Amino acid sequence: MVIEQYPITTTPKYNFPHQSMDVTLPQQFIELSLHSLQSVHGQSFQLNQQPIQQINNRGEHPQTLTLRHDPILLEPTHQESIVAAVDTSTIKIAETTAGIVIAVRGANVWKQNKTYRYTRLGPFIFHVTEENKREVYNTLERAYFGYPYEHNHQGTPNLMQMPTRIASLLERWLQTMLSKTLDNALILFDGSLTSGTADTPTQRMKEILGAARKRGNIVLAFSKVTTLRVNGHLITDLLPEHKPPYLLEAAGLTLKPPMVLLGDVYVAKLTKGNLAFRLDIDREIPFEPRIEAVRRLLGNDLFTESYPETLRLAHILCTFTANEVLAMRHFVTRRYGLQIINRPDMHRLLFGPFGKGESYS
Amino acid sequence: MKLYKKEGNILQILSFSNETVEKGDYLLVEDAEAKKALIVQVIDVQFASIPGVLEELLRSLPDGGELIRGEDIDPLEIAPHITYIQDASLLICKIRATAENENLSPSSSWLPSRSQSTIKKLSLPMLLKLAKVDGKLPIVLGGTKDSSLLTIDASSLDGRLNIITGKKETGKSHLSKLLMVNLVGFKATVVVFDLNGEYLSLGMTTDGKRNAYYDKIHVLTPSQNFKLALNQLNLHVLLGILIHALHLPGTSAREFRRIWQALKERDSLTLHELGETIRNWNCNQHVRDALFSRYHALVNSGFFTDNVAEATLLEECLLKAKENGGAVIVNLRNTSAIDRQIVVEYVLGKLVDSLTSWKLKAVFLFAEEAHLYLRETYWDDIVTRMRHFGIFTTFITNQPDTIRENIYRQADNIFLFNFTNEHDLDVVSRAARVDAETVRSIARDLPPHYCLALGKVVRDFPIVAKVKALDVKTMGETRLFFKD
Repeated sequence: MVIEQYPITTTPKYNFPHQSMDVTLPQQFIELSLHSLQSVHGQSFQLNQQPIQQINNRGEHPQTLTLRHDPILLEPTHQESIVAAVDTSTIKIAETTAGIVIAVRGANVWKQNKTYRYTRLGPFIFHVTEENKREVYNTLERAYFGYPYEHNHQGTPNLMQMPTRIASLLERWLQTMLSKTLDNALILFDGSLTSGTADTPTQRMKEILGAARKRGNIVLAFSKVTTLRVNGHLITDLLPEHKPPYLLEAAGLTLKPPMVLLGDVYVAKLTKGNLAFRLDIDREIPFEPRIEAVRRLLGNDLFTESYPETLRLAHILCTFTANEVLAMRHFVTRRYGLQIINRPDMHRLLFGPFGKGESYS
Repeated sequence: MKLYKKEGNILQILSFSNETVEKGDYLLVEDAEAKKALIVQVIDVQFASIPGVLEELLRSLPDGGELIRGEDIDPLEIAPHITYIQDASLLICKIRATAENENLSPSSSWLPSRSQSTIKKLSLPMLLKLAKVDGKLPIVLGGTKDSSLLTIDASSLDGRLNIITGKKETGKSHLSKLLMVNLVGFKATVVVFDLNGEYLSLGMTTDGKRNAYYDKIHVLTPSQNFKLALNQLNLHVLLGILIHALHLPGTSAREFRRIWQALKERDSLTLHELGETIRNWNCNQHVRDALFSRYHALVNSGFFTDNVAEATLLEECLLKAKENGGAVIVNLRNTSAIDRQIVVEYVLGKLVDSLTSWKLKAVFLFAEEAHLYLRETYWDDIVTRMRHFGIFTTFITNQPDTIRENIYRQADNIFLFNFTNEHDLDVVSRAARVDAETVRSIARDLPPHYCLALGKVVRDFPIVAKVKALDVKTMGETRLFFKD
C-alpha cells in the first residue's frame, strides 16, 4: 500500500554538533502520524490515562552472576568532553472503537562548553489499529532498517506493545544519530545494553555501538531499575563501605538466546547518597578507556544521586505531562473531529471503591 | 467558555485565551432547555488549575535556574495546543440575577446545565436594558469599557443615602460635581459643604466663561458674604451651636435660654446686647464664664453680625434654588474647626427648619470629609431622621473608616473609586448593597477616574465606568512647592 504523500518536510537544520543527518525516520514518523490519524476522523474515543509501562522482562539469568568486592576507584577527569544522552517516551492518550491513539516523543540532550542543549522530536501521534499496525510498524522499520519487520520476526507486534515498539524505534534512531554525528563523546543510553529482544534487535544495537566506536565515542548505558541479584540481593544494594565515586564490576551474567549482552555490567556509585545504578559499558571498549570514560563523565557532567544530569534532562524533556496529554487530546479532537466518550469503568462499576484497576477522569 | 463549578452564588467558568474576558464584565449563562439564564459578573480572573503545569514550568528551568536552550521539532504543531491549555483561565463570577422571559429576579437557586449551557458576554447596553437602568431624568455618568454610556436616573438618588469614596486623586470630587450639576439641571436644591473650596467655580467653564449653571450656583463664604444676625436665628438653632459645636454644659444652656428670652422680650437680640447681658446677668460665676467664653467664640468666628444689611439669609438662597434648581455652596475653606462646626450646625438646623415647615421640598446634601465638621450624633440623624425631613446626603471621603459602619449598611448607592489598602476595602465592603468579594476584587484594580457604581442607581448590578469629563473650572487643586 502506498502511503499518501503529505506536503510536509522535516526541519532542514538539526542542531547537533555535527551536520550530516539522516532525516528519513522523522519524515516517516510525520507522514505515518498524519496518515494514521486520518482514519480516526469522526470516531468517538475514550479517555485513558493509564501510562504504558515498559516491561523489563529480559530473561537474564543471574544464577551465575557475581559482584567483585574490590571497587574500581574513580577520580574525575576534567578533560573537556561532550556528554550526550537519549531518551524517549510514549503514552496512550485515548482509545477509539478501532484501536488506540498514542503519542511518542524523543529527546537528545548534550552538554558542551558547560551548557546543556537539547533537541526534542515530537510528539508524534499515531492512531494504531489492528488493521494498520502492520503498515505503521513496517513502514517505520523499512525507513530505518531498509526492510520490514516481518523480514526477521514472526507475525506482527501486539496492539498493546505498539507504543513501546514505536518509541523504541525512535530511540534507536536517535541513538544512531548521536553515534554517527558526535566525535570522542560520551553517549548515555537509558537502560541496559542487552539486545536480542523485539525492541532491541542485536544487529541494530551492534550497528549503533559500532558507529559510536568508529568516531571515538563511548556508550554508557544507565539502568534506573535492575532485576539483577547476587545471593538474593539486588546488585545495586550490595555496596561496600567506601567513599564514592567507584564502580563494582559484575561478572558471569549469561543470557538466554537469542538475547545477547553487548556491554559489561557494573554497579556505579558515583556520588554520596543512597542510590547506585547498573551501568553497562560497550564490551568492545578495552578496560582502561572505559574506566577513563566514566572518569570523564564525572568531570564533565553533574550528578544527582549517582545519576548523570544529561540523562535526567533527556528523560524530563521527553516525558509527557498531564497538560500535554490534554493538549494532544485537544489536537485530535479539533483537527480530526474525534468525540470524547466516557465508557464506564468496569472495575469501578462492579467493585465500587474496591475496583482500583482501570480508571478515567 | 465552559461552566465549571457553582458554589453558593459564585460560578466558576473556564475560559480560553481567545476569549477576552476581564474583571467587571458581565456574562450570560443561558440554559436553552430551562429557558432561563444566569447573569453573572466576573469578579476575578485566575489561572485554571491545569494538571501538569508545574512540571511543565519546572522542566524548562533545570539548568541552575536558567532556561535550557534547545530546539523543538514539533511537526504536528502541538505546541499551540499546549499553550492554549496552559493559558486557560478560570473566571470567578458572582451571580447577579436570573433572567427569565426578559424579567430579572435576584434568584440564584437553580443550576444551569453544565454541558448544554451557552456562555456569552453580555454587553452593558443590553444589561442596562434588561435591568431597566434608564428613566426620565438621565445622568450620564461616563463611558463603560465597551464604549457605551452608563446613564443613571436622577430619581435613583432621590431619597437615598450615597457614598462616594476612593483614595486621593482618583476623581471623587469630580463625580460629586457631575452629580450635583446634573441634579441642579433637573431643578433640584443642592447644598454642598465645600471643605476645600472645590465647588466655588462650578458656574464657570474651564476657560473661565460663565456656563449654564452660573446663575444657579450660590457660594456662601462664612464671615465674608455669609453672616448672621442674631435676630434671624431661632433659639434652638443657636442652642444647637452652643451645645454641640461649642460644648456648652446643660446648666449654662438653661441660663442662656433665659438670657435669650429676656433679650427677645426687649427686642434687642444683638451681639453687643448679648455680651452686655451675660456680663450683668445674675448667675453663678462659673456659668457666666462658660457663657462668656462661648460668646467670644461666636464673636470671633466673624459669622455673626449686628448689621442686618450685611447678613445673608441662607433661606433666601435656598428659596431661589427651589424655584429653578440651584446649589448653595457653603465654602468652609480657611475656616477653623470650631467655626466650621458652628456654620454646619447652623446650616443643618436651618435646613431642618425649612423642610419641617415645607418651605423646601427636599435637599440634596453633599458633604466632603464630613468627619471634620459633623458631630457624632448627626451621623445617625442624617441617615434616619433627616432623611425623613428630606435631606438626602452624599458623603464624599478618601478615608472610608471615618464614616460609621451603620452609614455603610444603610447606604443606597456607593460610587467606589480605586483603593489598594485592604483596611479601606474592608470598611467599604460592609455596605449592605454589595458583596465583599466584588468590592475587594474590582476596586483594587480600578484605574484613576474609573468608578464602580453599586446600589440602586445600577439596580444592584455593579458597573465600572470612566467618569465623564465636566466642562467646569476646577478648583481645590493641591498647592505644590515645586511648581512654577
